[in-house]
Amino acid sequence: MYPMPSQLLIIKQGAREVIRPVVSTRVFLGALLAIFFMAVPVWAVPWHHVLTLRGEPSGLAMNMPTALFVDKERSRYYVVDAANNRLLSFDRDGKFLSSFNAMGRLSIPFDMVREKGGIIWLVEKGKNSLTRIDLKARKVVPNILSFNGRTVYPDRLKMHGGVFYILNKANGDILCLDADLKVKRVFSCNGCRLGFVDFKIVGNDLFALAQAEQSVYRFSLGDDSPAKVIHLQKKMEFPCSLAVDSLGNFFILDRHADHVVVFDPVGRFKYSFLQPGEAQGRLHFPWEISFDPWGRLCIVEEGNGRVEIFNR
Amino acid sequence: MSRVVLWLTLLFWVAPVCAVHAASESAVCFKCHKKADFSAKIVHRPVAQGKCESCHNPHVARYKGLLQKPDGQLCESCHKKREWLGNGAGGRVIHEPVRQGQCLKCHDPHKSEVKGLVHGKLADRCFACHKDLPKKFEGSTHSPYAKGRCIVCHLPHVADNYQMLRTSPDKLCLKCHQRKALNKAHKGYPVEIKDCLSCHNPHGSKRKYLIRNFLHEPFKKNNCKVCHSGGQPGTEVCLKCHKDISKKVLTLHNHFTSSTGNSCIICHSPHAGDTSGLLKGRQAQICRSCHEDTFKRDQDKIYRHPKVSHCGECHNVHGSNRLAMFRSEGSAVCERCHETQGKFTHPLGDKVRDPRTGQKMTCISCHKPMGTDYKYELLLSGEKDLCIQCHRNY
Repeated sequence: MYPMPSQLLIIKQGAREVIRPVVSTRVFLGALLAIFFMAVPVWAVPWHHVLTLRGEPSGLAMNMPTALFVDKERSRYYVVDAANNRLLSFDRDGKFLSSFNAMGRLSIPFDMVREKGGIIWLVEKGKNSLTRIDLKARKVVPNILSFNGRTVYPDRLKMHGGVFYILNKANGDILCLDADLKVKRVFSCNGCRLGFVDFKIVGNDLFALAQAEQSVYRFSLGDDSPAKVIHLQKKMEFPCSLAVDSLGNFFILDRHADHVVVFDPVGRFKYSFLQPGEAQGRLHFPWEISFDPWGRLCIVEEGNGRVEIFNR
Repeated sequence: MSRVVLWLTLLFWVAPVCAVHAASESAVCFKCHKKADFSAKIVHRPVAQGKCESCHNPHVARYKGLLQKPDGQLCESCHKKREWLGNGAGGRVIHEPVRQGQCLKCHDPHKSEVKGLVHGKLADRCFACHKDLPKKFEGSTHSPYAKGRCIVCHLPHVADNYQMLRTSPDKLCLKCHQRKALNKAHKGYPVEIKDCLSCHNPHGSKRKYLIRNFLHEPFKKNNCKVCHSGGQPGTEVCLKCHKDISKKVLTLHNHFTSSTGNSCIICHSPHAGDTSGLLKGRQAQICRSCHEDTFKRDQDKIYRHPKVSHCGECHNVHGSNRLAMFRSEGSAVCERCHETQGKFTHPLGDKVRDPRTGQKMTCISCHKPMGTDYKYELLLSGEKDLCIQCHRNY
């Protein structure tokens, strides 16, 4: 327990003879402030805007960006600039590095991952493919996936432990694919109306968001045990994406309300933040939320054509 | 004991005084207002008790009919909302006049020959707003509908089901139509009989047996195998024939999602419909069944876009590569109707960028067509607040 300011004052008054010549008022107020911030736990500090990833430094503003991929080892952000059919890279400080469009061969890219060897896997909505891009060999190979005799419509994409996790938009299932793009496991939202709309992998768990049911399904990647369903206890307008912090709290992006709603690990509402608008730190048709490896909260905004990054 | 006696004495003196006051109150009113106009089989309790002043101010009022409050609020002062609306209206379907507090659209506040103080015949009240519904259909008309007994299937105030139905459609049908009779009528039907509204119009139709007017071609030809060649037909089965729609699957934003694997049947009936598109209802109703938030958010805005006939006028309902699934690029969707603004307006397009975001200026940089609290559906006040967002030096 830290002493309250009034208690400090009494302590100081009690020790007036000793302290007064040593501690000035400014130092004392500074110490008070420092104690205040030390006393407030990290989760209680408000989020503030730290940087924006914009397309203008490339000569062209982003047009409907849809996804962000972060390469921790290279300390790079990759933004999928869907309507401009290109990928943009930025360093950790938000400095624009390069733009890549595979010589004009991309068709409505939607989500991506980058392998250690420099291979990019890209969901292309325009081709309905999971496209493999070998940067060194300058090869672009589209793959149309199918499962149980039906075409897969790839949506969100993640890579974890050398296997792919793909959201199949056709039925809202999440498919786990091996390196040969063969389906190994299916994560279904049983009884859901529209299936899942987004998912994240944290540790050995896969968290998936069921939009219509406003619930998070928690699957264990280690075994085939049934999912644990967490009902989010606050009605949202149009939840479209989720992020999970190190404490297990859920950060749900509400696309139509243009804000983020935070729930504790059992689904109890904690708080919401951010507002609609075009100014810095405001949201317009946000599409994806994620934590980067440095604990910063990143929001891809389709409407404002940028990625906003927040910290606390 | 003495306290009881005291209260009884008080009551003995006060009650007649109150009754005399109420009677004298109404007696004054009935000097001009014909008493016969307030008499019927059912009389609203305050009227019967002569308490005209509980709703009306005899001298002056802000509201028509010298009402003390707007009619909805006035009714609510006795008929507590929570009693008939349930605990919280979240997720429930509320009849539009109820939501707007327009109780008098259906009820007569003084007297009626019908239970519930309904103003005239119940069906007449329904048809007064639901003008697109014919009173009788050419081919077959459902018996309760023909008798004007809308209330057999629909609830008038609030419901937990789509289109204010009392229960789920199939359950509702089975209340009157026995399962045995249904099986007999559908002899040879290969699967369990369910989803009645998929083929039948519950009000009426040009066809026999209330079968909807437009039939899906394979269904019409009794060629079930075109779609049912094994297992539940997925979206791909539909797209094999509907090739123009299949291109929409390859768009950034589209509606090709359903846990059943067939997103088409969320909006379309695979067998029969009331329109050539075989939609399951009016387009706005279908859109609302998933996008309730959009309708709710904008319905009470002060300035709303004048009513458009259907969502598809601005949005491509299958899929689009534009924000919010707009039909066309930037301002083009607005310019189809707002021709003048398309030619003469604030500079728009690729060469004019929004300084806040770097995005090209379009109509929606300043307007929110679904509705806002500012004139012309502006995002902020057009007097100053909106302009200085970009024009800071002014």
